[in-house]
Amino acid sequence: MNFAKLKKASTGYFFLAPFIIGFLVFGLYPVVNTLTLSFTDATLMSGKSHFIGLGNFQRLFADEVFMRAVRNTWLLWILNFLPQIGVALLLSVMFTNVRLKIKAVGVWRALFFLPNLLMPAAVAALFNAFFAYYGPVNQLLVRAGFLSEAMRFLESVGVMRGLVIFIQWWTWFGQTIIIVMAGMTSIPIQLYEAAMVDGANGWQMFRRITLPFLRPILIYVFVTSLVGGMQMFDIPFLLTDGRGSPQSSIQTNNILMYMKFASSKGHIGAASSVGVLIFIMTSLCALGIFYFLRDRDNVEKKPAKKLTSVKNMEKAA
Amino acid sequence: MRKSVLYVLSLLVIASMLLAACGTTPAAPAATEVPAGNEAPAVTEAPAATDAPAAELEGTLNVWSFTNEIRTMAIAFQGKHPKVKVVYTMIPMTNGEYQTKVKAASGTADSPDVVALEAAFVKEWVESDLLANLNDLVPLTEELKTYPAVVQVGTYEGVTKAFSYQATPGAFFYRRSIAKECLGTDDPEQVQAMVADMDKFVETAAKIKECGTGDYYTVGTGAELFTPFLANRAQPWVVDGELVIDPKIVEYVRFAKMMRDNGYESGATQWTEGWFAGMNDTLKDANGTPKKVFSYFLPTWGLPYVLSPNSTPKDGGEGTVGDWGMVNGPMSYQWGGTWVGVLEGSPNSELAKEFVKFVALDEENLTNWATGVYTNEYLKAIDPTTPDDQAQAAGDFVSSQLVVEKITSSFDKSTLSDFLGGENSYGAFALAAPSVNGALLTGSDDAIQRALNDPLAAYLSGTMTEAEMWAAWLDAVRNEFPDLIIPEPPVK
Repeated sequence: MNFAKLKKASTGYFFLAPFIIGFLVFGLYPVVNTLTLSFTDATLMSGKSHFIGLGNFQRLFADEVFMRAVRNTWLLWILNFLPQIGVALLLSVMFTNVRLKIKAVGVWRALFFLPNLLMPAAVAALFNAFFAYYGPVNQLLVRAGFLSEAMRFLESVGVMRGLVIFIQWWTWFGQTIIIVMAGMTSIPIQLYEAAMVDGANGWQMFRRITLPFLRPILIYVFVTSLVGGMQMFDIPFLLTDGRGSPQSSIQTNNILMYMKFASSKGHIGAASSVGVLIFIMTSLCALGIFYFLRDRDNVEKKPAKKLTSVKNMEKAA
Repeated sequence: MRKSVLYVLSLLVIASMLLAACGTTPAAPAATEVPAGNEAPAVTEAPAATDAPAAELEGTLNVWSFTNEIRTMAIAFQGKHPKVKVVYTMIPMTNGEYQTKVKAASGTADSPDVVALEAAFVKEWVESDLLANLNDLVPLTEELKTYPAVVQVGTYEGVTKAFSYQATPGAFFYRRSIAKECLGTDDPEQVQAMVADMDKFVETAAKIKECGTGDYYTVGTGAELFTPFLANRAQPWVVDGELVIDPKIVEYVRFAKMMRDNGYESGATQWTEGWFAGMNDTLKDANGTPKKVFSYFLPTWGLPYVLSPNSTPKDGGEGTVGDWGMVNGPMSYQWGGTWVGVLEGSPNSELAKEFVKFVALDEENLTNWATGVYTNEYLKAIDPTTPDDQAQAAGDFVSSQLVVEKITSSFDKSTLSDFLGGENSYGAFALAAPSVNGALLTGSDDAIQRALNDPLAAYLSGTMTEAEMWAAWLDAVRNEFPDLIIPEPPVK
């Protein structure tokens, strides 16, 4: 009987197989292996390694370096995510607004998305050259009279953090617009028409219709951006010397992990301990986001409930 | 209808996965099979190969390096052994990419056979178990009179694992026109007297600044003197598992600060546009005021690879060819150098060993290498796919004293001596090379020295105090070396 059931469902398993296999090999195994390594003093340069318990983790908290990397990562992520989601929401509302009727939305959307296609390595190298002491930005600013003498941008904590935040925002807000707009265009237009008949203004429509319907999309954007942000690496790594200088101010979690991995003997054990902590931190935060942004039907007031039921109807249809 | 489409799609997905899997599996057997075919002849031929021309060598050799230099030798090697195919991979090492890549690849199916190792990290490899024992090539170093320091660096606990084709004593290159204008002479001996030690060097720096009314800098960056200071330490970075902060390091940091604060250096970062611009006199500050750089600290390879190629401005203009002089400078030092070794477990180990022998221990190759025989046409005749800029200009200083003695006189009248206003740089390096000391190199140098750059930059620009700088550096070192004992900072 069971077998027959299984056979009947085989199409399903058949479809699931590629993902499951891929996940086990490329997802689960590395995680488990990283966890195992984090309790050892394994290096790339020697075949021998010993179990050292929590030694790697103790070292991480023995000085400020790890916590500084965590703080840097959060700072760089939050300061680029807030403007990113803000601008994306604003532009998406404008693009989908029935009253504004902006022309050539597709062209705008493509233009905003273009920076995302640039190679991070090229972008970082370009900005590094622009902001060098003898570079063009200094020449422009000094000759135009904004600065009295050339500035050491690459050694300025504020400027370099600002640049990382700007580049991250600039390359990713187009992507967020596309996702948010996709979410907005799936909201039934009748709701807005009804709201307009009832005399609702733009903000009220946004607050009462758009946001509640967008919640699943926003959770998705939030979580993927968080996961990406906690693993921020290429831009800050390549923008300066690959160590998060100046003064380790753009040294993110992943740069620290990479430095431990890349240093002299290749301390993969110590590097894994950083990876494990990033994993735990990111997982907890992602779960937190799901918890706080979950669909609170029972607590919500009437209008939201109505809207959800419309959504469910849509789904059923 | 729809279901069948889905079936087809799912089949495609699975088929693509299988194909992807197939793509990797045959690679593994291939890696073991091909060598098996090669190893057999190579092993039997190796003993005979010393006398008979080793033309029967065949197989594919994977060579990794961090510049395109050795590629020239790889092509020449293929010219000698037409049945050998060298697959050459270049990965830059600006921020340590190469080192990481080799470390990660060793022991896997992607592992190269021969690796190039730079002075900053060669010890790390020589001290590990990852390089093959090349002791049976050591007798050749006696024949060629290879400089002892070169062999010493490639040796650990009596086992030699890497050899170099270069010896790299350092020198001090100065602009003759500026010397004449500010110091009253451009004669190498008299200039050397004016920079003979650090005190005199600083006096001269002050003179240069005054004479150029602030538009002349003595060096591009104080960081150029890091290597000379390092070479004059009493102890290496690591002794008995403990980090050693030699007095020379403290001295260097204060010296670099003094150079910056007094405006004796241009403030450009080494290896960036501004630093190179000083070599061809096109350095301009942000206002467009032209600035001049008096001197550069560079070793043997710095002349043909760095100074000479950058002495002519890219957008035309006069440049500085013929306006350079070369002396020993305030401190004797050595800087850099490329060693080659064979990775342990390489399936082509015999062929790889032949390659190392050719690169570092072959009189003919070393002579060709240093005297500019390997022109682009020469290489293209062997391999038509050679890139247009692949060639080896004359002048690299080789590791064999025998070869050096034979070819030194050929540089009396050459492009390089023209560049130096008639001086024979080769002769000068030949005098400095035997005194080079290889004992100060350790496997941890690269990471320890890199860790100092960022805190030092912050100290120089005034955003960190000296005490903060030392603390930041020691924190960084501690984080990269879990087992290293870290001493108290020199200033708290």
